[in-house]
Amino acid sequence: MITLQTLEKRFLAHVRGSSIFPREWCAQGLVNSDIGLSIYANAYGSRLSEALEADHPVLGQYLGDSLWAEFCKGYIEAHPSQVRSLRHFGAQVPTWLANHSPFSGHPVISELARFERSLLDAFDAADGERLDWSHLQALAPGAWPSLRLQFHPSVRLLQTATNAVEIWRALKEDLPAPSASISSEAARLIWRDSDRISRFRPVVANEYLALCGMFSEGEMFASLCEQLATVLAVEVVPATAISFLRQWFDDGIISRLYDADGNP
Amino acid sequence: MPDRAHSARVPAPGANAPGVRPWHGYGLGLRTEHFDAVLEENPAVDWFEIISENFMVAGGKPRHYLDAIRARYPLAMHGVSLSIGSTDPLDLHYLGELRQLAWDVEPIWISDHLCWTGNGGINSHDLMPLPYTEEAIAHVASRIGQVQEFLGREILIENVSTYVSFANAEMEEAVFLSEIARLSGCRILLDVNNIYVSSRNHGFDADAYVAALPAEKIWQIHLAGHSDYGDYVIDTHDHPVRDEVWALYARTLQRIGQVTTMIERDDDIPPLADLVAELDQARTIGESVKNSSLAICA
Repeated sequence: MITLQTLEKRFLAHVRGSSIFPREWCAQGLVNSDIGLSIYANAYGSRLSEALEADHPVLGQYLGDSLWAEFCKGYIEAHPSQVRSLRHFGAQVPTWLANHSPFSGHPVISELARFERSLLDAFDAADGERLDWSHLQALAPGAWPSLRLQFHPSVRLLQTATNAVEIWRALKEDLPAPSASISSEAARLIWRDSDRISRFRPVVANEYLALCGMFSEGEMFASLCEQLATVLAVEVVPATAISFLRQWFDDGIISRLYDADGNP
Repeated sequence: MPDRAHSARVPAPGANAPGVRPWHGYGLGLRTEHFDAVLEENPAVDWFEIISENFMVAGGKPRHYLDAIRARYPLAMHGVSLSIGSTDPLDLHYLGELRQLAWDVEPIWISDHLCWTGNGGINSHDLMPLPYTEEAIAHVASRIGQVQEFLGREILIENVSTYVSFANAEMEEAVFLSEIARLSGCRILLDVNNIYVSSRNHGFDADAYVAALPAEKIWQIHLAGHSDYGDYVIDTHDHPVRDEVWALYARTLQRIGQVTTMIERDDDIPPLADLVAELDQARTIGESVKNSSLAICA
C-alpha cells in the first residue's frame, strides 16, 4: 500500500527533478502520465524562476539570459522554497550569489541583488510615524545627550563596495551600464516615503558612521558625537551631527524620540 | 476598518440564516494591476477576492490598497498555501498570519484548495493532486477541522485542476470532495473551469461531477480561462472564460441554483473594464436561471 506521505514525497521529488515517480502509481487517464507529470515539473521551475525575475528585474538584465538561467537553476536547487509566500523565496539570493561561481567572482552582482531586495523590503515594511524637525526643537537641552532615535520601519542601510547602484540606475533608465568599479560612496540609505514610494540616496563616510551608531546600534546622541570626534575636528562635531539629524528628519525617516531608558 | 459602503451594493439576504446559502453577487479577483482603477472607477463589482498570501506583509502599498478597497467592497480571502492535504504538520505560523489578516479584513469567507503544496518542509507553490483514498479523506477532513477551529469559522475548499491521477484511487473526485465536506463541515468553492479542465484530462463527465456534489454545500463558484492543447488542457488563467465553461456554468446553476460567483485572471491581465464586462456575462447567466436566488438547503 502506498501511503499518502510516500506518494507526496515521491511526487515532489519527481517535480524537483531529484528522482523518478513510479509510472505504475499513476492511473492512465486520457492524458499520458509522462505528460501529466511533466506539466507539474515544468510549472515548478517556471513559477520559481518567475518569482525571482519579478523580484530582480535589473539583475536579470545585467546578467543576460544565459547567466540568468544558470543562476535560477542553481538557486532553486540550493534553496528549495520553505516559505508560504513567493515574496520571500529569494531572500537568500544576495548571499548565494556572493558564494557561488561564476557570480562570486564579481561582487557587483551580489550587491546589485542586495540593493533590489532592500528596495523590496522597504516597499512592504511596516508603516510608522514620521516626526518633523519641530519635535526635536521641542526637546529640552538636558535631554540631548541621552537622545536616541527610532527610525521608520522601512529604513535600510546598505554598505556599498561597488558601483552596483549606479549600474542599477542606468539599466533602469535603459542606458548602457557603466563598467563595474569601486563605489565612491560608503553606503546607500533606502526607505519608503510618505507617498509609499521607495527612495534611496548615497551616504558619505561620516554619515555612515553616524547611521551605524544611531540606526544600527541604537546609540545615544552623546555617543554619536564621541564617534564623530574620532574622525572630525572637535569644533565641527556638533554642527555636523545636527546636520545629519536635520537630514534624517527631512527624509521623513524618524518615527520616535526616546531617552536612554526607552522613555519618550 | 470604518465606513464600509457595500451594504447598498450587496444585499447578502439571510447570509447567516441556518440552511441558507449566502448570496454575495458577482466578484472579481483583486490584482495589483487594478488597484488604482478600482479606487478611481468604483466598478460595478459586488465583491473582490484577494489572494491571502499577497497581503501577509507588514505595510506599504499592499496594505494601503487593501484597506482602501475594503472600505468600499466586501472581500473574500482565497489562499494558495494552506496545503491542507500535505502530510507535513499544519503551519501554525502561517495560520496565525491568516487569522490576523481575517481579523483585519473581516472577509465574507476564507477559502483554499483541495490539494497539497509541499512535503518535507519544501513548498512547491503549486496545487498538487491528492489520491482519492479513504486515508486521504480522513487526513484532509481532520486537518480542515483543526484549521476551522483555529480560525473560528468554517472555510471553503476548492476543487483543483489536475493532470495526473493515481492508480490507488478508491473513488471519483466528486465523491472524495463530498465526503471531506460532510466530515469536516467545510463548504465547497466549486471551480467550474477546473472541473472542465480535469474532465478533459481524465475523461470524466463534468455534469455528473456536479450532480454528485451536495448542492447546499456549494457557496461559491470560480470561473477562469484555460489553455487547450488538444490532447490535454491546462488551467492557465490567462484567457477569458471559454464558451464550453460558460455552458457548464449555466448547466451547473440550473442544477443547483444561484451561487456567488467570481472570475479569476492571473496572466495577460486586461483592463479592469474588460473583466467587468466579462463578469456581466456571468451575471446574465445567473439572472436567467429560474431558480430562486437563494438556494434552500435540503
